[in-house]
Amino acid sequence: MTAWEGLAHGFGVALQADVLIYCLLGVTLGTFIGVLPGIGAMAAISLLLPITFYISPEAALVMLAGVYYGAQYGGAVASILLRLPGTPQSAVTTLDGYPMARQGRAGVALFVSMVSSFAGSMLGIVVLVVLAGWLSQVATAFRAADYAAMMVLGLVAASTIGSDRPAKAFAMVTLGLILGCVGTDVNSGAQRFTFGQSELMDGINLVALAMGLFGVAEVIGNIRNAERHAAPERVTFRQMMPTRDDLRRMPGATLRGTGLGSFFGALPGTGSTLSSFLSYALERRIARHPERFGNGAVEGVAGPEAANNAAAITAFVPTLTLGIPGDPIMALMLGALVIHGIQPGPEMLTARPDMFWGLVVSFGIGNLLLLILNLPLIGIWVSMLRIPFRFLYPAILIFVCLGVYSVRGSAFDIATVAVVGVVGYLLALARFSPALLLLGFVLGPLIETNLRRAMLISRGDPMVFLERPIACGFVIASAALILLSIWRRRIAADSH
Amino acid sequence: MNRDWADIWGGLALGLLGAGVAIYAGLRLDFGSLRAMGPGFFPTVLGVALAVLGAAVALPAWNRAAESPKIAWGDASAVIGAILIFGFGMNRLGILLACFAAVLIASLPAPHDGWRWRILLAASVTLLCWAVFILGLRMSIPVFPKLP
Repeated sequence: MTAWEGLAHGFGVALQADVLIYCLLGVTLGTFIGVLPGIGAMAAISLLLPITFYISPEAALVMLAGVYYGAQYGGAVASILLRLPGTPQSAVTTLDGYPMARQGRAGVALFVSMVSSFAGSMLGIVVLVVLAGWLSQVATAFRAADYAAMMVLGLVAASTIGSDRPAKAFAMVTLGLILGCVGTDVNSGAQRFTFGQSELMDGINLVALAMGLFGVAEVIGNIRNAERHAAPERVTFRQMMPTRDDLRRMPGATLRGTGLGSFFGALPGTGSTLSSFLSYALERRIARHPERFGNGAVEGVAGPEAANNAAAITAFVPTLTLGIPGDPIMALMLGALVIHGIQPGPEMLTARPDMFWGLVVSFGIGNLLLLILNLPLIGIWVSMLRIPFRFLYPAILIFVCLGVYSVRGSAFDIATVAVVGVVGYLLALARFSPALLLLGFVLGPLIETNLRRAMLISRGDPMVFLERPIACGFVIASAALILLSIWRRRIAADSH
Repeated sequence: MNRDWADIWGGLALGLLGAGVAIYAGLRLDFGSLRAMGPGFFPTVLGVALAVLGAAVALPAWNRAAESPKIAWGDASAVIGAILIFGFGMNRLGILLACFAAVLIASLPAPHDGWRWRILLAASVTLLCWAVFILGLRMSIPVFPKLP
């Protein structure tokens, strides 16, 4: 199937009434969640996971993806108006977005962030189509050893890049891998860590784990902090008109941000937060007057916003073509697909073209919806920031409980949410990343299966990981990342 | 002494958990061989790794000064209490009563005085919850308390 045929096919799927409605629902909810500081896309997606049982897998994935990239749009609003990042990806937008708002140019900053987000997403879709087509052909040569090595690389990259204490990151990944072992062992049927609980025989419930770690833990952590901000000023559509100078500065920054975002989004383990920071650093480095940055430079908003949206789109490349989620949000997406009995892999593009191309086209439609809805409706989103958190979080908790309960009618799962919620809160407080735990949890069973298969085929010879060129490449890259992070810490220690 | 207690306690807890996992898996589950790994192979290796990593987090933290984060036990217990009351109460108390009680308890730690808004909030969330999950999604949960 050529790309054009695929796109035509995708329009057929994405323009179905129910898929369209779930797309609209996803992006609206995503923007809402993104606008509100204190609840992220992870919490929203885990809240919606149970609903996806009742709808088609296409509609489910389209909706969850919509929440993800919708939150990237919404995240910028609180960053610009209140200097409170609505999502971690938009943290860097506060650096120049907030100064712009202080200068009375909040509307322009919002306009720039939305248009750059849109451009980044649209170009990201093109990169997604090209990369996915290429990778799904390369990946047919992948064997068990290569998959295991690649997933390990993903975990190593996620733990070392952008983490100030790699030991803590690795500990979280390992804890996730251990939690992924709970349940019935697929090969032998042995019970692992179930302690006689029949509810644990299928493993720890992904929905309960995700909701506890993100929904409940974020609520506990934000009860006191989320209401400390002042009410934002009103923004009207009219104030959003950029000046000619703004328009001249935007396109270059947007394009460079898109390039960075598309590249780092597609790599496993790096993701959109990193790419927005890199884009900001790049813009400041190449600027003729770097002192403008931090004082309301348009490029400081345009670049990072384009980067995080492009990364949000290309993050789907490894998820859909290899079945390997590059970041925790993709891990949840993969979880949603597996719930529907779909195991993504290199055959996905040919075996489930409706799924892949439907999703690609829905990205385009969803981003267009976001642009045409958000520009005129910006006033409504800004007023959302006036809702006190104390009115929201009790309702979130009730929705969490009913959402978990609806999966299989088990009160055990609700108790799991409560326990995981406290543990997740304590972990986040001590700056252990719960997102890495979830990544390990989802990848764990996949790594174990592929590792056992690879060792069986190689008759117990671990050298298989160095003899196969693909696996060897991943092993070398993982080792290099670990060495690099040790070296960087040594330099940091010396400079003190 | 102003040590980095978050990392000390966190690393210690993770390290002990890892050691426990390794011991349990080593004793109870078949380790197998490199060629045919048993169900105990992966957990044992991971348990040892977590024990080592936990130590690697906790030990350097002993000589490092850092501000300890304050744990909001009150907020956490209110939230957990609300979840448990709702989760275990809904089948006996019915969704209306369980939801009302859970929202009331969850709202206790909110930094805003007064009872009126709490009761109003509980009533409106209960109404919303009933409309969405009972009327809309037709979940089979009792609406009213079960009389003995």
